[in-house]
Amino acid sequence: MSEFIETRGLRKVYHVGGQTVEALQGVDLEITKGDFIVFMGHSGSGKTTLVSAIGGLTRPTEGTVLIEGNDIWKLNDKELSHFRNRKIGFMFQSFSLLPTLNVLNNVVMPAIFSGNSGEKDSDALKSKAISLLSDLDMKKKVNSFPSELSGGEQRRVAIARALINDPEIILADEPTGELDIRTEREVIDIFSHINDVYKKTLIVVSHSLSWIEKARTIIVMKDGLMYKDLDDPVEAIMSGVCKQ
Amino acid sequence: MKILKLSILELLRRPKKNMVIASSIVIAVALLTSLSIVSNSANVAIMEIIAKTGHTLTVRPAATSAGTNAEDKGQEYKLTTSEVVLGSHIPETAVPEIMKYYDKAIKEGWEKKSGLVTNPGIPETSIEPATWAPRLFEKTEVNGQEMIVTGIDIHKEYFVRFWWNLSSGEWPADTEIRDVNTSVSTLYSIGSDGRVIVDKAEYGVDSSGKLIAAQEKKARAAPVKPIQKGWDDAYLGGAYAKARGLKLGDRLTINKTEFTIRGILEETNSADDYMVFILLSTAQRIFNKEGQISMVSVRAMCPNCPVGDAMVELNKHVTGITAVSQLDVAGVQFDFFSMLYKFLLAVVVSTIAVGIFSIFNIVTGSLYARIREIGMLKAIGASRYQLFRIFIYEHFILGLAAGIVGYVLGLGMAYFLNTLLDVGAVIRITTDFLWRGLALGIVCSLVAIIYPAYKLSKLKITETFRTQWES
Ligand SMILES: Nc1ncnc2c1ncn2[C@@H]1O[C@H](COP(=O)(O)OP(=O)(O)OP(=O)(O)O)[C@@H](O)[C@H]1O
Ligand SMILES: [Mg+2]
Repeated sequence: MSEFIETRGLRKVYHVGGQTVEALQGVDLEITKGDFIVFMGHSGSGKTTLVSAIGGLTRPTEGTVLIEGNDIWKLNDKELSHFRNRKIGFMFQSFSLLPTLNVLNNVVMPAIFSGNSGEKDSDALKSKAISLLSDLDMKKKVNSFPSELSGGEQRRVAIARALINDPEIILADEPTGELDIRTEREVIDIFSHINDVYKKTLIVVSHSLSWIEKARTIIVMKDGLMYKDLDDPVEAIMSGVCKQ
Repeated sequence: MKILKLSILELLRRPKKNMVIASSIVIAVALLTSLSIVSNSANVAIMEIIAKTGHTLTVRPAATSAGTNAEDKGQEYKLTTSEVVLGSHIPETAVPEIMKYYDKAIKEGWEKKSGLVTNPGIPETSIEPATWAPRLFEKTEVNGQEMIVTGIDIHKEYFVRFWWNLSSGEWPADTEIRDVNTSVSTLYSIGSDGRVIVDKAEYGVDSSGKLIAAQEKKARAAPVKPIQKGWDDAYLGGAYAKARGLKLGDRLTINKTEFTIRGILEETNSADDYMVFILLSTAQRIFNKEGQISMVSVRAMCPNCPVGDAMVELNKHVTGITAVSQLDVAGVQFDFFSMLYKFLLAVVVSTIAVGIFSIFNIVTGSLYARIREIGMLKAIGASRYQLFRIFIYEHFILGLAAGIVGYVLGLGMAYFLNTLLDVGAVIRITTDFLWRGLALGIVCSLVAIIYPAYKLSKLKITETFRTQWES
């Protein structure tokens, strides 16, 4: 039986101005359903690249990404979009909110692309968005616009948006970047809650050590390779020496 | 929430940029619309002339110029359908010869092309002898002002100029307008002393053309010619009547003879509008042009008549005359307008080209500013096609709005251009131009976006967030 998420010999080579960068050098990874994984490691170690390959954002140069046994990189554009839309909730720092839409509409947005945003469903969708937002303590801000929100509030909206289509996997790249320590704690607690209560599989990339106590699995990335089950991941990151 | 709503919100987000884009589209659409309307209106006016007179051949005395036009009459008209010939004449006796050659040429020409009759269902026997109408022009004084007076045979004239309508008054009853010279035996009785007896009343005319009572005439020794009833009727061109403020029943002094206005013609956009019509026989008499006419209009009575062949034949065989096809006259104007149209169209096309180029630049710039958003939309599940739709909707709406504004502006410009160019055409607005304007607006807007939108929708998502680090 195959794992929930599985990567086999994942390699990614970037060609930039005649130079080649090996962002991933053969990653074999298995993720069980309901896991809460945090990827750590130095800048440029390949964390974003790996997570993007799993989420169907970056096509690997070699290797396969299997989700429930299906090779997602064999899907066509429409199928892959559908996969991203339905299976995965993204929370990337660069994927900010749309400034033209209020909080509610930003949260509902992924549903536009699901192809079934008919009038009948739209009320159900809205109440779902509102209940998600109240879960995240954002009920009062439903009609606000992104520019009227603090950084922490914007993250919460992004989390609600990631959850709206009920995906099984949440992919978050630095979801707490640029947040103060208190707000960071709050966001991490929300993630923990999502994992515990909603039973979502969480894949998080972060530089912050605050995640360590909440995460179920810590993976350290170095030079395009991953290291799992380290005795002391913090030490490994600090020293830059990873042994298995 | 729909993709459409997303597009509209995005559109409203950049009002300044979109206004710039819209304004170049507005200009292009306005130019095209006004140009289309003006040239179409002019063409329709010309086509009407062709439809009316296309089968008509004008036979004038040889070696007369194309006829004196508006300037000579001190009047103003724009589209010439008739020509005015002054100073030279054709004897009326030449008409049978003209008609003989004309009918022969039409018949032969018709037979020649009968293999490719363009109006199926119309049998060859539908060729009837052509009808003809003579005219005599004379420059004279009408109510003390110099004017061209035209003598016509109303019955024949009306047959050739079947589009004539009276805005007021009446044509003479049919019996009254038969030429006295040809129908005298059946319709009028002539007394033993040469007087014509009509409706039991007796009229006569003396050598000066003055109507006199029978008794009075008897007293004079002058030879009396039969006279047509209604000989002092006058019919006025609509524009002339309007300009002079003349009404039905008003009296008119032409060459010292009194006439009564019996009818006023509706305007036809031709020289007829500025003419005074009296009976040919009266005109011949009061101007001393017995047996003479200035021109004959010949109207063929068959569909697709080879009028051109007839013209060639007439000019070859009948001496002393020149035959001109009205189709040629209108054709010249038609060519002028189609040339003007082509020239202005070139201006519009280059405007559009420049417009599209500038739109392309602005659009490309603003789309690349949205690159991260596009990455986000893709990540949350927008397919390439859905992304493409967002851009297309945006620009469709923009083009549509600009098209509407441009169309309205174009209508205004059309009226302005019409007076400026002095085309004299009645501005005709059809929905064709609206669709054309909207289509142009939308196409301009879309053409500029299709390439950048295509490239962006193909962009790899990771590339979209890398731009964040680089910039
Ligand atoms: N689109 C790209 N084009 C070229 N090189 C890239 C691209 N994306 C990533 N790289 C390179 O691949 C390597 C891995 O990048 P990646 O973004 O995965 O690192 P990361 O671990 O997420 O780093 P950080 O912690 O700074 O976010 C880096 O050397 C980076 O420069
Ligand atoms: Mg990264």
